[in-house]
Amino acid sequence: MAFLEYLSSPSVQRTILVQSLEHIRIVGYAMLFAIIIGLFLGIAAHRFPPFRGPILSVTSTFLTIPSLALFALMIPIVGIGDRGPIVALTLYALLAIVRNTVSGLFSVDNAVVESAAGMGMSKTMRLWRIELPNAWPVMLAGIRVSTLLTVGIAAIAALVGGSGLGQLIFSGIRRIGSPGALNALLGGTLAIVVLAMLFDLLYLAIGRLTIPRGIRD
Amino acid sequence: MSTTLTPPEADVGARDRAIAEDKAADSRAKRAKLVHYYGMPLFLLVVTIALLLYIQGSELDSIETRALATDVQLDRLQQHLLLTGVSTFFVLLLAIPLGIAATRPRVRRYAPIVIGLGNAGQAIPSLGALALLFFLFRTIDWLPSTGTIPVVVSLIAYSFLPILRNTMVGLDQVDANVLEAGRGMGMSNRLVLRRLELPLAVPVILAGVRTALVLNVGTAALAFLFGGGGLGETIQAGFQLNRRPVLIFGAVSVAILALLVDYLAGLVEEFMTPRGL
Repeated sequence: MAFLEYLSSPSVQRTILVQSLEHIRIVGYAMLFAIIIGLFLGIAAHRFPPFRGPILSVTSTFLTIPSLALFALMIPIVGIGDRGPIVALTLYALLAIVRNTVSGLFSVDNAVVESAAGMGMSKTMRLWRIELPNAWPVMLAGIRVSTLLTVGIAAIAALVGGSGLGQLIFSGIRRIGSPGALNALLGGTLAIVVLAMLFDLLYLAIGRLTIPRGIRD
Repeated sequence: MSTTLTPPEADVGARDRAIAEDKAADSRAKRAKLVHYYGMPLFLLVVTIALLLYIQGSELDSIETRALATDVQLDRLQQHLLLTGVSTFFVLLLAIPLGIAATRPRVRRYAPIVIGLGNAGQAIPSLGALALLFFLFRTIDWLPSTGTIPVVVSLIAYSFLPILRNTMVGLDQVDANVLEAGRGMGMSNRLVLRRLELPLAVPVILAGVRTALVLNVGTAALAFLFGGGGLGETIQAGFQLNRRPVLIFGAVSVAILALLVDYLAGLVEEFMTPRGL
């Protein structure tokens, strides 16, 4: 098959490897920022009911803005390159993390929190030792959904001068109508699907390692 | 004696406080409703005015003036709306009846397969999926290989699976007890579908309309890659010519359009949902 031949070429393998690493870097940074900000916003939305509505509606508004538009909007702010896509992907990733942090914290049994208070734990200690560990499985599910979303959207970065596997797809799009287009399209798309599956496995492992046995299902 | 009775002043105070709290909650709810209905349009209006002022205020060179000419932009807006509208119409026409058919008792056991496919499809990047679909449809003999038609067909195919999945998941959520009660009353399967299942699924279908619109308005921004035009073309021109006003105009207008479509579809969803639901 022509596609397998294409994949066996060392230069193609190199391209896919390099662009995969770029892709992972973009997604990794975006998720790192999104987890930190999302955790903070999620806790704030849970603690202070007046902020809950605004935080959730603003983060879901980000998700309504088409990716090409948001990526392009970042260029005048942070310049051309990977920084714009990283910021844009961070904004896209927020909603699922914030929503799951809030619902995770709400799902924690009140009696457990109260008995922790009865044992003399301060509010901060309760949050870190009781509430967050109990909410963690739900929060992790949100982080996973966000990651799968950003792995896919990160392909758009190539359209506005960013790196990652979108470059391979974009090169295929520019060659549509001439030979080799399909190989580049398939190569880039499948590599992203594989990346998404690898991230999924990573989260499965993280879940195994970090979810306390008592609340695992 | 008077000491054993509750002092009347305290009572009045408590009642006043309760009334005041009631009023405060009322005005909070009213304010929330105002923000809900007028917040987004007001925000979009402000952004639109700011965008126009920015373009008016910047000194455009000849390239920018040409790229931002009103008739060019209106043309692209029209293309964008056409791409979004036509693809949404057809995807709903195909996906909703199929979603209903696929959840009938006789074929229901295959439903998880379709839903699973829909879930797996979400892992495929939109850029790659759209490009592969376009590539595929170009090779079909009886479809023109250039112009708007293959792009629209790609958009339809791209949003088909998510909408089908949403419809099926939504129909699945209709309370089984209600349907059982209908059958118990002697309704036939067809009657259960028409009298119970479809009315109960109206919110699902409306949510599908909204999802399809928002999805398609976003993917239509990528139509320029395949010669389908639309407002994505302005973003692309701004990027390639390295002209900031053009880039900003393109990006902000796509964002405004998407938010507006989402807002309007949300209103329709709200007003058309049967009251009891």
